[in-house]
Amino acid sequence: MIALRGKALSAPFEAPLPRSVWRLVDADTLNSQRGSRAFLVGDEDQAPEGFDLYLTRSEGPNRLDSAFVLRLPPELDYLSGDDVISVSDDGERIRVLWRNQSRQNSVLLTERCNHYCLMCSQPPKTANDDRLLAEAFELMRLLPRDTAEIGFTGGEPTLYGQGVIDLLRLCRNLHPEAEVHVLSNGTRFADPEFAAAWASIDNPNMMVGIPIYGAEPARHDYVVQAEGAFNQTIPGILNLAQLGQRTEIRVVLHKQTAPALPEIAEFIARNLPFVDQVALMGLEMIGLARANIPQLWIDPTDYADELTEAVTLLDRSRIHTMIYNHQLCLLPRAMWPYAVRSISDWKNEYHPECIECSVKDECGGFFFSAKYKVSEKIKAIPTEAAGREPALLNLG
Amino acid sequence: MSKFREPAAFQAASADWQLLPFRFERIRGRVLLTNLVGEHLFLSAEEFEQLGSSDLPTDSPLVRRLRAKHVIREKDDELPVELLAIKARTRYRRLAEFTSLHILVASLRCEHSCPYCQVSRQSSDREAFDMRSETAALALDSAFRSPSQNIKIEFQGGEPLLNFGLIEEVVEAAETRNETEHKNLGFVIATNLALLDDRVLDFCRAHNVYISTSLDGPADLHNKNRPRPGRNSWELATAGIQRVREELGVDRVSALMTTTRSSLGRVREIVDAYVEQGLTSIFLRTLSPYGFAIKTKSFNAYDVDHWLPFYEEGLDYIIELNARGVPMVEQYAALILKKMLTNDDPGYVDLTSPAGIGIGAIVYNYDGDVYASDEGRMLAEMGDKTFRLGNLHDDSYEEIMLSEALLAPLEESFAPSAPMCQDCAFETYCGSDPTYHHATSGDFLGRKPTSGFCRRNMAIFKLLLERYEGDATTRALFQTWAGH
Amino acid sequence: MSEAKLSFDRAGYSLDAVQRAAYRFSDRLSCDISEGAKAIEVNVRVADGTERPEAVLDDFRNEALDQVLRERIRAETSDVRNLVLALAFSKTGLIETDV
Repeated sequence: MIALRGKALSAPFEAPLPRSVWRLVDADTLNSQRGSRAFLVGDEDQAPEGFDLYLTRSEGPNRLDSAFVLRLPPELDYLSGDDVISVSDDGERIRVLWRNQSRQNSVLLTERCNHYCLMCSQPPKTANDDRLLAEAFELMRLLPRDTAEIGFTGGEPTLYGQGVIDLLRLCRNLHPEAEVHVLSNGTRFADPEFAAAWASIDNPNMMVGIPIYGAEPARHDYVVQAEGAFNQTIPGILNLAQLGQRTEIRVVLHKQTAPALPEIAEFIARNLPFVDQVALMGLEMIGLARANIPQLWIDPTDYADELTEAVTLLDRSRIHTMIYNHQLCLLPRAMWPYAVRSISDWKNEYHPECIECSVKDECGGFFFSAKYKVSEKIKAIPTEAAGREPALLNLG
Repeated sequence: MSKFREPAAFQAASADWQLLPFRFERIRGRVLLTNLVGEHLFLSAEEFEQLGSSDLPTDSPLVRRLRAKHVIREKDDELPVELLAIKARTRYRRLAEFTSLHILVASLRCEHSCPYCQVSRQSSDREAFDMRSETAALALDSAFRSPSQNIKIEFQGGEPLLNFGLIEEVVEAAETRNETEHKNLGFVIATNLALLDDRVLDFCRAHNVYISTSLDGPADLHNKNRPRPGRNSWELATAGIQRVREELGVDRVSALMTTTRSSLGRVREIVDAYVEQGLTSIFLRTLSPYGFAIKTKSFNAYDVDHWLPFYEEGLDYIIELNARGVPMVEQYAALILKKMLTNDDPGYVDLTSPAGIGIGAIVYNYDGDVYASDEGRMLAEMGDKTFRLGNLHDDSYEEIMLSEALLAPLEESFAPSAPMCQDCAFETYCGSDPTYHHATSGDFLGRKPTSGFCRRNMAIFKLLLERYEGDATTRALFQTWAGH
Repeated sequence: MSEAKLSFDRAGYSLDAVQRAAYRFSDRLSCDISEGAKAIEVNVRVADGTERPEAVLDDFRNEALDQVLRERIRAETSDVRNLVLALAFSKTGLIETDV
């Protein structure tokens, strides 16, 4: 599990840092730019001059003269050039905003939310965290031009209203080719003015991922713990469709949703046939999910029929459908083409059973959090049983 | 951490459910419901009793199913209304497109003499029965007058290849005209393929013309149904099919079958004959009650009750073939399934309401007479000109399309206004067929309790729904058919 | 037996419902319908050669009940049906709406 935050080993600075968001430079990525950049010291004899902040690794030498030198804790030693971090004023707390090596960066915009999903992996907080939005603006300015994918998440990003619209407009202007994916519960789009403002961002490479947990209000509202949620989320999706905005429907699969999956698929196919794609997600056993295991846990093999039924219906209705975060040995064989290897690398771990498995490289593996609860049916797939060309698998 | 609330906190505030428009039909102890846009669900008799006597709780699996399918709503909940409106709009949007299928009868002449044929037999000498260039030009004018973005021109007969020169003229003229009109143009020749030669193939290749032919089944059956001098209709048809597949492409030829008394009991052989020819779609049609069929008593030989087992066996055999990996679509089922499982209407003119006569498809006869449908033309050959709308040489487009001959049957056969259709749970899947009802019962609406059209279609709807609910493999197959 | 007299209490059945049931069954029965003071009277003749005429009459009575239910559904949903269709066609410019 890769750490995304840590506490510096160095003493707090006496004077406050001039900025909070920094793009890292090391010997390999050194050029003449100094603004907004921090230098990550390696084995070189002499660190280059002109940087406002220097970082050393936990065991690294410190022969530096500068006022602002920060010593990384061991869990952040992996940082390298072109990564982006945010540092508190006093240099004590470090948060990793962007890892250049990763294909799955996710920009957290807020931890506040107006829903309270039973299985929420990012438990909502109420404290004001506007600074996260401010840092995101800075991040947009520091990301390289050829950034391929940018994901925005929360909490509920649309709580910022015009603020998030402005951020996404900046993102589009500075990174027009990047695939932008925003997660939202979709309720704010029921407001036609907000939906129109969203559409005015005019980014054909932007998609919003909105969860639906039922084919009618009772089930959905229960899962998200908010009355009236369904009756706002669906109109929100309709508004976005009318404005030609790309949408993805997400369904997290657990005991409350998996039995109803065929009905949910039917509802999507008949009422929301225009959606760009549907993502069926395996459950992450972290955050609020751990508090609700009895209501949520179901062995994926126990909903294999419902999953097959739903995926088949959506696929025949010409809706692009993907299965995320399910180990291949727990999926019916016919569902493998829809499985995407998608667990963010910073969460990925493997089970001992997987060592012998012939399809390990195509499988998504596990969330680190799976140690809290995992299926007893995990089983290595022998080569004979796998019997297909690797090219058939969708690696998303 | 805040407390999580129980499901009960998210149920409807009261059990004061409001009904949304729906219809029902009792089928073998269960009750089929269809909502305003044809989404269906099956209830047990007890569940239906609860719904019918307004005895539903604030939450239950039944309540959730009924809400999800827009059969009930919470008092004044607007979302179900909005969604039903969107779905209804999608269903009906084809209407505004207007006439998209334009049938030109290139020649009435034919060298076959099929007993069920709906047009007169004429020998090959009678030049008087070929469409002239001037008539064809007027037909094209009419076709391009239609607002439809998609224009399909289908050459029929007799045997249209007997007047191939005219076909070449029309296709080229249409393409030239389309340089300014920018429609999606398509061409089809409905031919028995006996006269297929290089000239025809080269032309079809160059202009992307599709071929539709007849294949009634194995050789003995086909040749018995479709006699010609030489008694080799099947040999010529199958050779023609293979030539078109190889020289134009496998998707460029399709076949229709016609059912006669001789076909009954042989449906598997007929389907197998299609599989042997490499065809992947078949249309298990009934025998229509028009033309020579009545004259030669072919129609009287059997009725719907004899045909239905034929269809059911054929459909089940096709389902079985698909399960074995042999691709084959039953076209009539596919059209109906599209209406059952999606919000789209395939616009099949014989199964829509309002009827597809004139406003979906129209026929320009070799002599310039305009007919509301091919069946209407066939009735005229028998002396009944009820469906003749006018003549291209004498009447304007407005006079033809606004004629009483067209408007009366359209209005009178409108299903949602028809007795029994109005209450029928299958109405959204069905259609009006004013020509059939006029031919068999003397009025455009017919009397549905005794209508063969109604009996046949109702039986097919029930069959398809029961198979759909029956197992997952068939469901997946039907969903594939509905999506095409 | 091929003829029967059925009686439908006007408190529970409308004339329209009975007529619709009779229409639906017109391939199996022919009916004369008249309105009495308290009941709707139906003289029924089952088609000759019908195998189990009692079963047909039972089905006819059940159909009349179903027609009563259909009538209720039509009445309860006519407003929302018009609303849906008006909404569906509201942007086509084909109909005039007072909405």
